[in-house]
Amino acid sequence: MSIGGFILRNAIRNKRRAFLSVLSVAVSLFLFVTLLVGLRELTQPPHDTGSAARIVVRNKISLGNLLPSRQKATIEKMPGVEAITPFTWFGGKFRGEEVLFGQFAVDPKVLLKVFAEARMTFEQFEAFEKDPTACIVGIKTCEKYGLKIGDFIKLQGTFWPLDLNLKLVGIYKGSIDDRNLFFNHRQLDEMPGSTGEVGTWWVKAKTLDAVAPLVQEINAAFSNTTAAVRAETEQAFQLSFISMWGNIKMLVLSICSVVVFTLVLVCASTMSMAIRERFRELAILKALGFRRRELFAFILAESFGLAATGALIGVGGASFLFNQTEIVVNASQNFLIAFEMTPRIMGQACVVAAILGIVSSIGPSLSVARMSVVQGLKTLD
Amino acid sequence: MESDPILNLLHSNVTSPLNASEETGEAPVVQIQELSKVYQQGEISIYALNRISLNIAQGEFLTLMGPSGSGKSTLLHIIAGIDRPSSGQCRVQGIDVTKLSESELADWRNQNVGFVFQTFNLLPVLTAFENVELPLLLTRLTSKQRKKQVLTALELVGLADRMGHLPRQLSGGQEQRVAIARALVTDPQLIVADEPTGNLDSNSAHEVLDILQSLCKVAAKTVIVVTHDPKAAAFGSRSVHLEKGELAN
Repeated sequence: MSIGGFILRNAIRNKRRAFLSVLSVAVSLFLFVTLLVGLRELTQPPHDTGSAARIVVRNKISLGNLLPSRQKATIEKMPGVEAITPFTWFGGKFRGEEVLFGQFAVDPKVLLKVFAEARMTFEQFEAFEKDPTACIVGIKTCEKYGLKIGDFIKLQGTFWPLDLNLKLVGIYKGSIDDRNLFFNHRQLDEMPGSTGEVGTWWVKAKTLDAVAPLVQEINAAFSNTTAAVRAETEQAFQLSFISMWGNIKMLVLSICSVVVFTLVLVCASTMSMAIRERFRELAILKALGFRRRELFAFILAESFGLAATGALIGVGGASFLFNQTEIVVNASQNFLIAFEMTPRIMGQACVVAAILGIVSSIGPSLSVARMSVVQGLKTLD
Repeated sequence: MESDPILNLLHSNVTSPLNASEETGEAPVVQIQELSKVYQQGEISIYALNRISLNIAQGEFLTLMGPSGSGKSTLLHIIAGIDRPSSGQCRVQGIDVTKLSESELADWRNQNVGFVFQTFNLLPVLTAFENVELPLLLTRLTSKQRKKQVLTALELVGLADRMGHLPRQLSGGQEQRVAIARALVTDPQLIVADEPTGNLDSNSAHEVLDILQSLCKVAAKTVIVVTHDPKAAAFGSRSVHLEKGELAN
């Protein structure tokens, strides 16, 4: 018999309790990592290689305030600008219901220059450019709604006083978010009563070095106008957009803390029970010559083993579920597109499990250290 | 005597690490001087042991007798190094066990004392073999050496064929014999037994006492047994009576 074997026998002597303990750790750690992955998804949206060279220009007052279309000519002339497109959120209902895919009005002629990652056939791009009533849709949305080339997509305006009937001419893929629908901005420009406004400008810089000076130049160019702008890189824009989730982040982190705290209580209670019912045996081990440090090592190893097994199942299961399957993406109806367990989150969960194992063994170890052999034998005799 | 399998084993195992030391010096193995154990309950001092002095020779089978609360178990625990006296000296093989630290005492117990308890106190999740092997896990013996030693100990108590059984699969007498094997396996000079026959029927009790007696006679082990039973005491070479924490005889 090895020491390891002895510890294992003790750990699983009460199989039901061991199973339930491991399960509680596994479920709690699964919840813990799910919350962290979810938080990451919300606060650190994925960005592609082209995003570093893209600049988003929005109204300085708020994202809800529109920008005059005349700004395009000014920005276009600036050195370092490769392309510029209006980028206006439409937010219509599709098939009578709110949908999770974004609908944006853009300039089809420059779309490919600004978003070079998206892949579509040349013919489809050409059709999109030529037909002002055309639209292109990401492959995920097409698959979800069973859309195909030639279909008509009716969008009922909710923010804009306009209903659209768009012909699907292209299906793109390969972008970081293959869910959106793009249509020609002329649809909004030519709408009755239109004042020619856009939601934002998306600017593609010629080089990465040109981005910073361009941001400054755009901001300065409109600083004394009625529509002062705030230009920033795409990533900065996303982060500022996400800062609105501030309270959600705090809430999620609070829940994580509660989960960890509860987990510690559960494990400490389990270990205390397991050790309390073995007080006599531990007293016998002491009588046979086992020292405090050896008994402490037994308890620590047992506690650590339970936590590690729970972590293996909980974190391993979450890792498999999030990284190897599309279950979460499908279950969220493509709302969560990169629900991915990172090595950092996995590390955090493992640290929590390790702390759990150590903390839950402290109480029982102290009890055993304080217990004399005679006291241990008398207590249970 | 030669027909007794246990004694035969003791005789034949000349290379066994379980064989007793050849040392037969004049000095007693256990020397107790003015030993007292006092429990304080508020203002009242209760003397579990009151200035006891006692010598126990090597190879002696000493029985400690007396009514409940007379201090016999307390005395046994102090001799075995699992309890500490309030005052006095307890030297075992020349070492004053009252002066050892917790850690030194643990090592000393492992090497010098074998315990046999009334309720056997085998670990329920371990087999007979593994229970006997437990004290050897603290030594530097290899797995092979440990196995040899455990088998010898189990053969000594006549349970080699039951080594794979869990305690719940053994009778009370067999459990106690496994406990004796566990006490013997490190080849300690001193074996202490607290009411070893208290939970056994008369036949099993006889077997257990026979083994303990054989260990004294053949292997020159010093055995100290606490018992209420005069029949058990009859197996000993000397009997000491305690009453209210003092030696009665």
